Amino acid sequence: MGLTIAEKILARASGQATVRAGQEVLAKPDFVIAYDFPGYTDVIFKQMEEEFGIDKVAEPERYALFIDHMVPAATTQEEELHEITRAWGKKNGVPVYERKGIGHQVAAELGYATPGAFVVHFDGHISQLGTFGTLAIGVRRHLLEAFVKERIKIKVPETTRIDITGTLRPGVTARDVFHHIVRVLGPRSCRGNVMELGGDGIAALSLEGRQTINCLAMFTGAITAIMNPDEKALTYIRERQRLDIDPFFSDEDATYAARHSIDVTDLEPIAVIPPSPANTRDLSEVAGTEVQVGYLGSCASGRVEDLALAADVLEGHKVKDGFQLHVIPTSQEIMEKAAEQGILTRLINAGAFISSSSCDYCFGRMGVMREGQRAVSTGTLNVRGRMGSPDSEIYIVNAAAVAASAIEGKITDPRPYLERVKV
Amino acid sequence: MSLQNLRGRIAWIFEEEDFDVDQIVGVKNIKIKDPDELARLALAHEEPDFAQKVKPGDLLVGNHNFGYGHPHYPPMIGMRKLGIGGVIAESFAPGYWRGEIANGFPQVACPGIMGAVNRWDEVEVDWTTATLRNLTQGTDLPIEPLSDGDRLMLEAGGIVGYLHAREEEEAST
Repeated sequence: MGLTIAEKILARASGQATVRAGQEVLAKPDFVIAYDFPGYTDVIFKQMEEEFGIDKVAEPERYALFIDHMVPAATTQEEELHEITRAWGKKNGVPVYERKGIGHQVAAELGYATPGAFVVHFDGHISQLGTFGTLAIGVRRHLLEAFVKERIKIKVPETTRIDITGTLRPGVTARDVFHHIVRVLGPRSCRGNVMELGGDGIAALSLEGRQTINCLAMFTGAITAIMNPDEKALTYIRERQRLDIDPFFSDEDATYAARHSIDVTDLEPIAVIPPSPANTRDLSEVAGTEVQVGYLGSCASGRVEDLALAADVLEGHKVKDGFQLHVIPTSQEIMEKAAEQGILTRLINAGAFISSSSCDYCFGRMGVMREGQRAVSTGTLNVRGRMGSPDSEIYIVNAAAVAASAIEGKITDPRPYLERVKV
Repeated sequence: MSLQNLRGRIAWIFEEEDFDVDQIVGVKNIKIKDPDELARLALAHEEPDFAQKVKPGDLLVGNHNFGYGHPHYPPMIGMRKLGIGGVIAESFAPGYWRGEIANGFPQVACPGIMGAVNRWDEVEVDWTTATLRNLTQGTDLPIEPLSDGDRLMLEAGGIVGYLHAREEEEAST
């Protein structure tokens, strides 16, 4: 029987000819990535030294740190945490990327998303590097192992294969495809597995759209997501990849825990109802619900095509009086492209409030809602209190729907606005 | 080293599937680090005297996919401070599972648990026979065995102890 791309990547990382799902292996991560956050990186640095007597990591080129949360700092404690990170990076010769954007996106831009590489982070949204055929797993506190040891113990995961077929209609995006997967298969359909996506529906998506889907893998219970890299992915990453590894691909006769096929031809914009990413409905079911805040950004969404789509919806319109539309491009590189293409100007003219790239709007540090307020958001999660008061609510929708809702002040299907643009 | 059996009363049953553990203390409290404060907050919005009712060794029960969402550590730091000895659930979200096992906090996957216990029943988790015994009702349920890695991690009390054990193992070979 053939092998999955995940099995092949872990075979290489563990120095074996073949490994199979279920086997426990000692694998050497090609890259170890983290963003600084209290209780995570500061604890790792401290435990490395105090518990294990390790002053410096052995191969600094394998490590990368990002400062993307609490940027810019709002308290002295936050700035002190960043300073610990910068100092540790300097001492270890490990790069600290700061004010470049959200690390999970910047890691792709900087080529840590090398096809065939094995990457670990403590945060699960690193799964989006799977867009480039990289196996990137959020291992939580086990990340300490990767700072203390060359190899980490990992059980080779099973893979659930999902083929997406059909072409999306205008106003329906990759974001909707992901939430539709959760709706059809359920929030634990890929529990403990790698979610491998393919099919003509994925091939038709931009890399940005694929990053969106792979980013959110954890809400199917998957430990990560991956796609067999096609020419589109390889062309983007070739100039950027940091290691010379031949990409891997799943065999035709690979063994999967399950195989599913989902057609998205008739898919409509989706709304994920608070307070759980498992509550997925057609947006039409909640259309008309009053909203006061819109958030377009995060490591899941907020890339050039999302920003362009929002600008198309807003063309010739204004954000409703009193509505707060926050637009935060996912990285500085994306922000620069959006500026060059005039997208930012169009958004600003329509009344959007644009900030530099940061994770802070997604987890309730900025743009905080008070009791009774309601947001439409492209953030990662809609749990109670994620964006402020526990008595505020978050409806997750695609970028176009955030823009349309900002015009009307209520949850709005964006498609009529886009039809008008086309004419 | 072998893993000690868990024995205690079921202090709380989380009925909700795909339960996000941050709700135990509330997302607004998720940056609190002080275990005593977290212990006071744990489930206080559901039952103001929860902290007073819990005895060391008591256990929590969860439904399917317990720990879904973005699980953070403070809720279970609070629960451990109260003396909670572990969590038994129908099934777990992998990120939550991985994080808590690395904290040395026993997690027990036990399909059928939701219909098999009432609050305050006394139960025992027997790792050797992979059995959950409901001592109050006199019934048994099989539990899913731990992987070798997870068992070693729990025996060592978490990731730091586990890595020390690995160092010793490597030094002796």
